[in-house]
Amino acid sequence: MAPKLNKIKNQTESPEEETPKKEFEELRGTREALLNILEDVEEARKEAEEERDKTLAIIENFPEGLLFFGGENELSSINPKARDFFNLEPENILGKDIGALRKISSLQPLMEILGEELEVYQKELKIREGLVLEVSTIAITSAEEKVGALVILRDVTREKIIERLKTEFVSIAAHQLRTPLSAIKWTLRMILDGDLGEIQQEQRKFLEGTYGSNERMIKLINDLLNVTRIEEGRFLYDIKSQDIIDIVKKVIDSLKQIAKRKRVKFSFKIPKKEIPQVEVDSEKISLAIQNLVDNAIHYTKSGGEVKVSLSYSKKEKQILFSVKDTGIGIPKEQQRRVFTRFFRAANAIRAETEGTGLGLFIAKNIVEAHGGKIWFESVENKGTTFYFTLRA
Amino acid sequence: MAKKILIIEDEEIIHSLLQKKLTEEGYQISIAKDGVEGMEKMKEAKPDLILLDIIMPRKGGFEVMEEMQGDENLKGIPIIVISNSGQPVEIDRAKELGAKDWLIKTEFDPQEVLEKVKKQIG
Repeated sequence: MAPKLNKIKNQTESPEEETPKKEFEELRGTREALLNILEDVEEARKEAEEERDKTLAIIENFPEGLLFFGGENELSSINPKARDFFNLEPENILGKDIGALRKISSLQPLMEILGEELEVYQKELKIREGLVLEVSTIAITSAEEKVGALVILRDVTREKIIERLKTEFVSIAAHQLRTPLSAIKWTLRMILDGDLGEIQQEQRKFLEGTYGSNERMIKLINDLLNVTRIEEGRFLYDIKSQDIIDIVKKVIDSLKQIAKRKRVKFSFKIPKKEIPQVEVDSEKISLAIQNLVDNAIHYTKSGGEVKVSLSYSKKEKQILFSVKDTGIGIPKEQQRRVFTRFFRAANAIRAETEGTGLGLFIAKNIVEAHGGKIWFESVENKGTTFYFTLRA
Repeated sequence: MAKKILIIEDEEIIHSLLQKKLTEEGYQISIAKDGVEGMEKMKEAKPDLILLDIIMPRKGGFEVMEEMQGDENLKGIPIIVISNSGQPVEIDRAKELGAKDWLIKTEFDPQEVLEKVKKQIG
């Protein structure tokens, strides 16, 4: 040991002998480092394999159907759940592109809705009696480049059945309720009109009140029916070319009396510039406008003001409708729920006990079904302005 | 001579109110409580106008209109539908089958029905 020690000592002391020794040491270091790297690589490989096996196991056992498409839109992987939905054998389909897959009869409906570019985001698809799938497509990107797509198939059959039963129940209940309500309406109307003999002033007062209550009930039933139709997707749109000013005027006329009774200043500024015709379902758009203006009047106190206006942007090729009130406003923390069905803001409930919370939900659905947008600006105790757009 | 109106409607209160309203205006009213009875009555004595409900026992309003379309003698009688529902598809179908008007009961009242009747047959 002593000479070695000496040598080392020498080494440090005599620089001319340093080089070969140093190289050797460096080489040894490099070798160790390389071994370490190899070990790391081996470990990483094992980890990667484990990860891959784990991922594969997740995909294989995933309770929803999964299909992976590569960069050329070729099917690179399909899990057993997805194969079950379509009764497929993997060997027949892997590696094929959308065009080729479309030729397989059980896959045809799915491939139709996915389209050539796999662009569908979320859609429902009825495969057969007793199987409804919700199809979602997610683009897989790496460094902002699309490298493939993942298609997820979720079995929503049970949810659909429950949803349908609920909607059917509301629809039937509402229809059944309409029959007695119309009998009440007609009877009261004829008594009030004197068709069934003269009535005293006091009788008239009470009967008019009852008639009003019945009308509110009819309105509620109509709202419920409209909501179930929206949910069933059979809220029909009878699209025709219409004059929007006419439509707004009619709604305004029908609400003038209510505004007058509430002593709310109510105006509609007819635009000076010409407004082109719009392609709309006039009955449905009237209903949306009616709901918005009716709310504005109802939630504005006596002495307040409701202003309706229309304008046209030639550049954006769209019509802007707005209704501005000086009413109770919508509390900030409740604003995001305004268009949810059955939602009513706390101050609205305090101001007026009547109301279903369906009007804005219906209005939003109508506007959006026409390709328009709806939004509002509101400050509590100051007022609210609702806006919507229509293509023109 | 008084114009004849046939009311085909299963709900008693509705047809009684209509009968009262229209009789006072000088019309001659007959009533059928469902589609089967309605067909019999219109064959017995051809009315000048029919007020027709849609959902009725035994035979509904659409079947009545279809049958009338197939009968040369009944085909031209003006029909006003009075119904509790009013889907655009239903209304379009009724108009194809010759209905002149479709009134949703909760949105109209007897006075307005009378006005629609007058518009059709005076």
